[in-house]
Amino acid sequence: MEIPYIFTPRKDTGMCNSKIAIWLFLASEVMLFGGFFSSYVYLRLGADYPWPERALPVLPGLINTFVLIFSSVTVVFAWAALKLRKWGMFQLCMGITIACAAIFMGLKGIEYNVKWHHQAVRLTDYTILEGHLDKDPKAIDAKGQPYEADVIHVNAEKLTFSTVRFHKPWVEEIIRQAEAGKATVALAEELSLQGQKLPAGTKLSVDLLEAIQKNHLKSRANNADVRTDALRGEWVAAKAKAENAGKQGWEMAPNINIDPAKIANSIMVETPSVSFVVTPPTNLWFKHRDIKEGADQSRLRDDTAIIGKLQDSPVAFHNLDAIDFRHVVMQAEKKGIDPVKAIENTWLIKHSKEAKEAWEWNKAQTARLEQELLDKYGRDENNQPKRVPTLTERYRIGWKDFVAKADGVDKGKEKIHTSEEFMGPNYELREPKHTFPHLHIPRELVFLSGKFTPAWNTYYAIYFTMTFLHGLHVIGGAIVLGYYLFRGKKMYQSNPEWLANRVEVGGLFWHFVDLVWIFLFPILYLM
Amino acid sequence: MSAHAATADHSHHDDHGHHHEPGFWQKYVFSTDHKVIGIQYGITAMLFLLFGFYLMMVMRWSIAYPHEPLPGWMSWVFTDTWKARWLQDGKVTGDTYNMFGAMHGTIMVFLGVVPLGFGAFGNYVTPLQIGAVDMAFPKLNMMSYWIYLLGGLIMCASFFMESGAAKSGWTNYSPLAGFADGQIVNQWLAGQTQWLLGLVMLITSSLLGSVNFVTTIINLRARGMTWMRMPFFVWAMLVTGFLLLLAFPPLEAAGIMQLVDRVFHSSFFMPSGLFTKSEGLAELSGGGSPLLFQHLFWFLGHPEVYVLLLPAIACVAEIIPANTRRPMWGYKSMVYGVIVLGFLSFIVWAHHMYLTGMGPKISTWFQITTVLISVPSVILLTALMISLWGGSIRFTPAMIWACAFIPMFGIGGLTGLPLAFNLVDLHLHDTYYVIGHFHYVVAPGILFGLFGGVHHWYPKITGRYLSKTLNHLHFWPTLVCMNFLFFPMLIQGMAGFHRRWYNGGDAYLAKAADSANVFGKTVAEYIDLNITMSWAAWIMAAFQLPFIINVFLSLRTGKKVESDNPWNATTLEWATPTPPGHGNFTFDVAAYRGPYEYSQPGADEDYSPQWEKPKTDSPVVAPQPTTAHH
Repeated sequence: MEIPYIFTPRKDTGMCNSKIAIWLFLASEVMLFGGFFSSYVYLRLGADYPWPERALPVLPGLINTFVLIFSSVTVVFAWAALKLRKWGMFQLCMGITIACAAIFMGLKGIEYNVKWHHQAVRLTDYTILEGHLDKDPKAIDAKGQPYEADVIHVNAEKLTFSTVRFHKPWVEEIIRQAEAGKATVALAEELSLQGQKLPAGTKLSVDLLEAIQKNHLKSRANNADVRTDALRGEWVAAKAKAENAGKQGWEMAPNINIDPAKIANSIMVETPSVSFVVTPPTNLWFKHRDIKEGADQSRLRDDTAIIGKLQDSPVAFHNLDAIDFRHVVMQAEKKGIDPVKAIENTWLIKHSKEAKEAWEWNKAQTARLEQELLDKYGRDENNQPKRVPTLTERYRIGWKDFVAKADGVDKGKEKIHTSEEFMGPNYELREPKHTFPHLHIPRELVFLSGKFTPAWNTYYAIYFTMTFLHGLHVIGGAIVLGYYLFRGKKMYQSNPEWLANRVEVGGLFWHFVDLVWIFLFPILYLM
Repeated sequence: MSAHAATADHSHHDDHGHHHEPGFWQKYVFSTDHKVIGIQYGITAMLFLLFGFYLMMVMRWSIAYPHEPLPGWMSWVFTDTWKARWLQDGKVTGDTYNMFGAMHGTIMVFLGVVPLGFGAFGNYVTPLQIGAVDMAFPKLNMMSYWIYLLGGLIMCASFFMESGAAKSGWTNYSPLAGFADGQIVNQWLAGQTQWLLGLVMLITSSLLGSVNFVTTIINLRARGMTWMRMPFFVWAMLVTGFLLLLAFPPLEAAGIMQLVDRVFHSSFFMPSGLFTKSEGLAELSGGGSPLLFQHLFWFLGHPEVYVLLLPAIACVAEIIPANTRRPMWGYKSMVYGVIVLGFLSFIVWAHHMYLTGMGPKISTWFQITTVLISVPSVILLTALMISLWGGSIRFTPAMIWACAFIPMFGIGGLTGLPLAFNLVDLHLHDTYYVIGHFHYVVAPGILFGLFGGVHHWYPKITGRYLSKTLNHLHFWPTLVCMNFLFFPMLIQGMAGFHRRWYNGGDAYLAKAADSANVFGKTVAEYIDLNITMSWAAWIMAAFQLPFIINVFLSLRTGKKVESDNPWNATTLEWATPTPPGHGNFTFDVAAYRGPYEYSQPGADEDYSPQWEKPKTDSPVVAPQPTTAHH
């Protein structure tokens, strides 16, 4: 049995199977990316926060664009070389194509890496701060290293674990921290399991919790069984009663209950939760996403209740890269408040001398810029200036501005190292001049904090999702093309036309990947 | 990756020439033969259908008898620990009901009906009907099946986890679906997340499948099998293939975004300032849009309806001409109808979202397109109905199902019309009326068509007929029960019964005669229908046993077929040996005429198969594929 038209085209359709399939596949891919691009438009138009325009470094993106376009050309050359039966030329061109894919992913990696190493915080008054965090000397992790100063500290007195839900790694972490704090975590009250009594004071361990869990699940299953049988019995009895004849279930239901006395002997003790006392009360720290903190009582996501006073848990910036008031302005305009007043009323301006200085400097710079634009472009027929500073220029003080301020030059005239175009400020170089403000933010003022991950806002969410998916396509395409390059020799010798057909199909896919990037680059980097 | 798969696929054909007998695993399990894959799809899909049916029976108990413990004959499948976790004193809880409801819908649609119609029938019949040796990409075909199975198992495995399976409805709307199972620390082990993983796999599977189908139909047609000589079944598969190919990816995009929402805490579908009872003010950036998810979901969701329907209507379209012994009425209109249907199905999606407040202009647009799409649907159904007119009908088992399909699907379709109008829909949205409507389409409609298909092609697959007696024992009670199950839903729906009440409306009852609760009085009037419907469902379950027995028993004891063409049908699948071997045809097959040439004047018999050369005195010129227009 042989499938026809594997690489010879069918006369009436003019195409071989793989060519049809790849076009269909690409149509499907268009719909997939179409879904994402539509979502981008939808999210951007519906954004109720200032969409981060031109937030990404343009240079690596631009280089990547040309790298991919170039690779699309070389993949065609590789195909042509096969058609001309020039194996060496094919190897060269295909090799370049795959090298381009590697360069693309390398630059992408640098870009991603930077995002994971910058902190962002949104305050409850919508001020947005970006920068790098201090280490928290009180939050020492398992490797003995201090954790970044963005954790919640609780002076734990009592812990109540959910027997069903407790998360093992978290229990282990609590035990580790308690030991480090020279505290004991011990069972609050005596607990009797089947055939075993656990005295108060038994030390917390995962094994202990698992034993309690096992016992609880067993009791729960037994009790459910007993209660189900009892309830069934009640219904049978009720239906047999003459007074209930012809009545519907919902009419009888209120009078049907399980008699606790009848089943008391068969019921086993359930332990849905179990409490431990921490002596002496000791400081425990948690990542802020894992805990819902309260003044006296906090709760972990796995339903562990922690009784104890919430400690001072500031977000401490070692240095700020940017202060962004655009969201403050947006909110102020919604409420009809003067944006400048709103900014000057923020906690940041009131509490940080450095931030206030930077803001004043930026205000002066904006005024200068406004005058320059007016001088250069003049006014329109309504006597309004033709060009004015952008919102970003007005209300965002970025790291380049801090550099300009320290260097004593105008906004936009600062000297930037080439590496900084890719990676952001070079602190080793800049720090001695103290160009970046330091800051401690009380926890209650923090609305959201984290790295520049999908969680930061929907822009970064769609940026990561789309570029990651595109990256997967680049890797997938490179693997396929690499397979032809490194494993294609045998096929080239036996059936070069078939290999050429495969490279053509692979090349079509490669062009599609390139095309997607040509859309991604402007919408994510330039607009 | 798929580009790699699409092209690398050819490699295994290198070994043709030296035929070696494949072993058991290669022949029956990891087979690349479209017929074996079709049967694998069929069996798997039917098992999933059975599972979905079972979930529904438990739900129906909760609706009819919310205060009574689940009876032993339904609850024995659960372990004690599972029962203790998910049942309250043996009664179905709201959470459990939600979980079963979400999974019932998901399983029936994504794991049951689509794989049965498209995966099983499509795979088995399409290459045979166009005279191809196999699918264009047999290995892709195999991968498609295994990815589907894996996706289905991942979804269902979550029933046994701490979180339970997905509970946010089969539509999985955010923000509910973004939060559900939020207490599970390792999100990869949460039912709601696994639902999304399973979904992404199912979409991948259907992508591989649809690329394969469309390529096969375009390029592997036999000599003379021009476009207008293709049986309607093949046309339906072609359109279905395009629907899957183009409509599913946006849902994949939505699924990926929801996955990112769940695992990386992004806010694609989470609005600003979201506050929940359990979480308080959500620790999320916000700024996303729940409506975006609905748009992306229904962009698939509506074409999906036709993905469900077309294979069933395709089966019926094969059964009816073969059993009326006359050509299909309006073959061309049906072909054009199904193409138009395919196009229109892409622009009606927001009629599922009238209640979201999209604004009157957008609602009107979708109202118009929705009404428009009823035109091709009616063309299909009318052509099938008129095909019966003047035919000499043989009531074979397949024909009985096909005949029941027409009025049942008709009820389903006609009850949909009021929902198309947004003013009426405001009242009926999310009521049992909607449930009644689409279940009439899917259960007695689509499933009847597919049951007919099983009876029609079983003799080709196995060489034996299914038992007529057992079929009667299956068909008639099922027909009656279906109507007792779904018609009362229309009534309850118009009375305002909400589709997601886990206790059947019990909580809304006016308990006292002089109550001011007016709606409660309406509920009291119609709540007893719950019991009728539930019993209809359970009785229907019992009467599926004859079918299951029939399928297995007839493998051994069924009457053997007299020839390779037991129904004296005209399409190419009947030109193969019974059952067809690897490679399908034993002669150089070609199509010499249209697909449904029954009772042609001048012919010796009342059917003229496509593969039979026309009787002519002049030398026969084999038709050339170049005559095809496309």
